[in-house]
Amino acid sequence: MSVTKGKDNKPEPIAYSEAALRNNAVVVEYCRTSMAALSGSTAGVLGLTGLYGFAFYVFAVVSLWVMFMLKTGPNWHKYYISRQSLLTNGFFGALFTYVLFWTFIYGMVHVY
Amino acid sequence: MVELLLDPNIRLWVFLPIVIITFLVGIVRHYVSIILSSQKKIELIQVQDSQVMIRARLLRENGKYLPRQSFAMRRHWFNNEETGYFKVQKRAATSQNPMTDPGMMTDMLKGNVTNVLPMIVIGGWINWMFSGFLTTKVPFPLTLRFKPMLQRGVELTHLDASWVSSASWYFLNVFGLRTIYALVLGENNAADQSKIMQEQMSGAAMAMPPDPKAAFKAEWEALEITEHKWALANVEADLLTTEK
Repeated sequence: MSVTKGKDNKPEPIAYSEAALRNNAVVVEYCRTSMAALSGSTAGVLGLTGLYGFAFYVFAVVSLWVMFMLKTGPNWHKYYISRQSLLTNGFFGALFTYVLFWTFIYGMVHVY
Repeated sequence: MVELLLDPNIRLWVFLPIVIITFLVGIVRHYVSIILSSQKKIELIQVQDSQVMIRARLLRENGKYLPRQSFAMRRHWFNNEETGYFKVQKRAATSQNPMTDPGMMTDMLKGNVTNVLPMIVIGGWINWMFSGFLTTKVPFPLTLRFKPMLQRGVELTHLDASWVSSASWYFLNVFGLRTIYALVLGENNAADQSKIMQEQMSGAAMAMPPDPKAAFKAEWEALEITEHKWALANVEADLLTTEK
């Protein structure tokens, strides 16, 4: 849509590039899936059980978010619209992957 | 609760194979669906119609940046009583029923063949081949509510709910590996990215209203009542005041 400035001094609407936004979302989704798989395997190898495992997942999600923030630096709003949604989006989808890998590696290492 | 002792051979010959089989079947299914997918054919006249619609909409929305005469000229081309495009073009009102369209039926059938059929066949095969094993234990406690879900094929009332039977392990894999496919087939999907992009570019053009006649009528009305308001009337004065 066109970005225009009228006579009144309203703040100029910000134009987002649809393709770039989508690409960023895809990259973030990749990172999140990899993070879930890797941290799930780590939790399995360490033999975490019960709430410790879920706490480890929360820790992994937050640390991934911190890594995103370190990577983008102070001008994160050039890449993402909202920081909060970057943290919370796909939390449960990745949790499923995490639990699968956790169960898998835990079963391979500790059950038998 | 006494810990169960499982034979390590179960790990090697049941637990691991189920993961590998599920994963590889998913990969094969992806490629089979690529082979079976057919290019959708578009009719030339439909593309033409939809592009005209887009042009008319753009004129309506951004016509204020055109001089009055240019705007009137363009509208005249669309809306003139005798020669306007919307008046001249006569389109038959088409009503498509997806069930009578053989192409649509084939597509639906293909979707079923690639999605539902492997699920049933492989699931049945795994159930038959690896039935009755306890494969693993989820590393967190679960309530009894989960027993029918996680212990399909093993009906033991006194077993702890966190043990997982082989059939349930297969289903857990089917649902859990979806995101991994996105990761693994990513390079391929990235190669297809241009195709998706292309589809999106022409997607607006392809999404034609089912009834072009009514759409033309609506667009004609909308264009007819559009009032031209020259947005750049005071542009020199504005520019000079802001430049100071």
